[in-house]
Amino acid sequence: MVLTRSPPETLLASLSSKEIQFAIVLSLKTSVASTILCLLVAVPAAYALARYDFPGKSVANTLLDMPLALPPLVAGVGLLLFFGTSLPGRELADAGLVFVFTPLGIVAAQFFVNVPFMVRVMRSTFEGISPRYEYVAKTLGCTEGQALWRVTLPMASNGLVAGSVITWSKAIGEFGAVLMMAGATRMRTETLPTSLFLNMSCGKLDEAISVATILILISVISLYVFERRVGGLRL
Amino acid sequence: MLRMEKVSKNLGDFVLRDVSLEVGDGEYLVIIGPTGSGKTILMETVAGIYNPDEGRIFLDGRDITGEAPRNRKVCMVYQDYMLFPHLSVEENIAFGLKSRRVSVGEVEEKVAEVSDLLGISHLHPRRPGTLSGGEKQRVAIARAIVMEPSVMLLDEPLSALDGLTRERLRRELKRIHQVYGTTIIHVTHNFEEVFSLADKVAVMNKGEIVQVGTPEEIFRRPKCEMIASFVGVENIFRGVASKSRGMTEIVVDGLKIVATAEGGGDGEGNDGERSDKLNGWEGREVFASVRPEEILISKVPLKSSARNSFSGRVEEIANGGMMVKVWVDVGISFMTMLTRLGYEEMDLKVGDPVYLTFKATAVHVF
Repeated sequence: MVLTRSPPETLLASLSSKEIQFAIVLSLKTSVASTILCLLVAVPAAYALARYDFPGKSVANTLLDMPLALPPLVAGVGLLLFFGTSLPGRELADAGLVFVFTPLGIVAAQFFVNVPFMVRVMRSTFEGISPRYEYVAKTLGCTEGQALWRVTLPMASNGLVAGSVITWSKAIGEFGAVLMMAGATRMRTETLPTSLFLNMSCGKLDEAISVATILILISVISLYVFERRVGGLRL
Repeated sequence: MLRMEKVSKNLGDFVLRDVSLEVGDGEYLVIIGPTGSGKTILMETVAGIYNPDEGRIFLDGRDITGEAPRNRKVCMVYQDYMLFPHLSVEENIAFGLKSRRVSVGEVEEKVAEVSDLLGISHLHPRRPGTLSGGEKQRVAIARAIVMEPSVMLLDEPLSALDGLTRERLRRELKRIHQVYGTTIIHVTHNFEEVFSLADKVAVMNKGEIVQVGTPEEIFRRPKCEMIASFVGVENIFRGVASKSRGMTEIVVDGLKIVATAEGGGDGEGNDGERSDKLNGWEGREVFASVRPEEILISKVPLKSSARNSFSGRVEEIANGGMMVKVWVDVGISFMTMLTRLGYEEMDLKVGDPVYLTFKATAVHVF
């Protein structure tokens, strides 16, 4: 329905508008940044959860699952309160890392909403790889790190790619938490979903629909990649 | 030489208790035991995957208890191959040499040599996922042996393979053992593997090593009921022992079974030990076992020097192809085995009266 409403010409016309271009670039930048952050945090965390037993492991698992059930809007409010009013938040702001109503806040919002998801994907990926591969690698001259690097990570590559793609597309589409953290300031914190919201609310239907079209394309492509890479992986 | 001294490890579900074991250079040790008896954890402890909670492990006189796996010169082959799926067969075999930073030329040379020996050179460019079970296990063995380890650990290496492949690979293992002279520890459930490969057998149960000996010793003189029932000794009876004219007599449900004084020993141990054993058994409950192949079955009483002769009726016949199992009720039920030909010649039917004969030395008391 969305796709058939506007002819290709209007789509191209909107694509050349400054505002939409800004939204595309900002969305790409923030989503890539938050995805990389998610990877950096989720891979070691998921590996630890899959391989080691430590006190508080079940608590850690529950804490990780909680944001999945939490509406992003609520997560956004929480983040806003943390970065805006708490002591560590204010100290970060004093140190130059201002999260509230800035693009940095967009990255933070995307990161916190998506990292539990990424951890889950990677955790089940690692759980699906028998630790005996690492045992064998170790008897064949590898240190723990080398075994991880030469065996487990390559074997987890499907999960890594799939997890990254789906995290990235979720980051691009994230609205609620981003809105709370970064607000909806035109040409400043205007990501694609924010742009869709702003254009829709002031009646610029063509622009709104072009943005929606872009978002649909992104989700279709990433879903395709995800399905191809993980297929039956249990999340 | 590999020596384990009172090694204990507790992993919750699996434990090792006070395991002491010696494997000589170039020796082929086979470990048998029921599922969950700690065989795999024993192997993984030798490989250095786990550090023992207590005890020490020595390899060639060097204490390797706390040594990292990669510095141990111990390689491992699992039942389910554990080939690295993202690498080709050739890269899999070369994996260990590469971690050792061996020169490219030498890697190629060694990989070619071992692949030749195992007949897997033509598989080099393929991915493990495309290989058959037998091919996969050859690659896994090649990957381990190319490292020229001091000890090679094989954890049920043939269990996942079909009969023919299993037999072929078993012969190959023997050949590899001869060619490389590597010390091998091999875990299995299969008794053919024990007899065809083992120099020495260790039996494990509940995390402990309960008996070590040659295959013959283990099978003919199992130390306890667990081993006897596990190694598949069919005719195990419980009875009361008594002394009679220098022999041991065991009464099982009113049936007298005669065994030698030392209870089936093949002339081992001195006289003092024998009488000690007999005195120890006197009037006590003991177990006696007779291997099915040591029992003669006949339709007429046999005139022989054998001390045990009973008459009874055929109770059950199980035709297993090569061998036919016949259960005979002589008051207690004995199982005997016949070759297919022998069975056909005798023309046995359930209910037929038959005679069982076996020597006193065939009776093993424990």
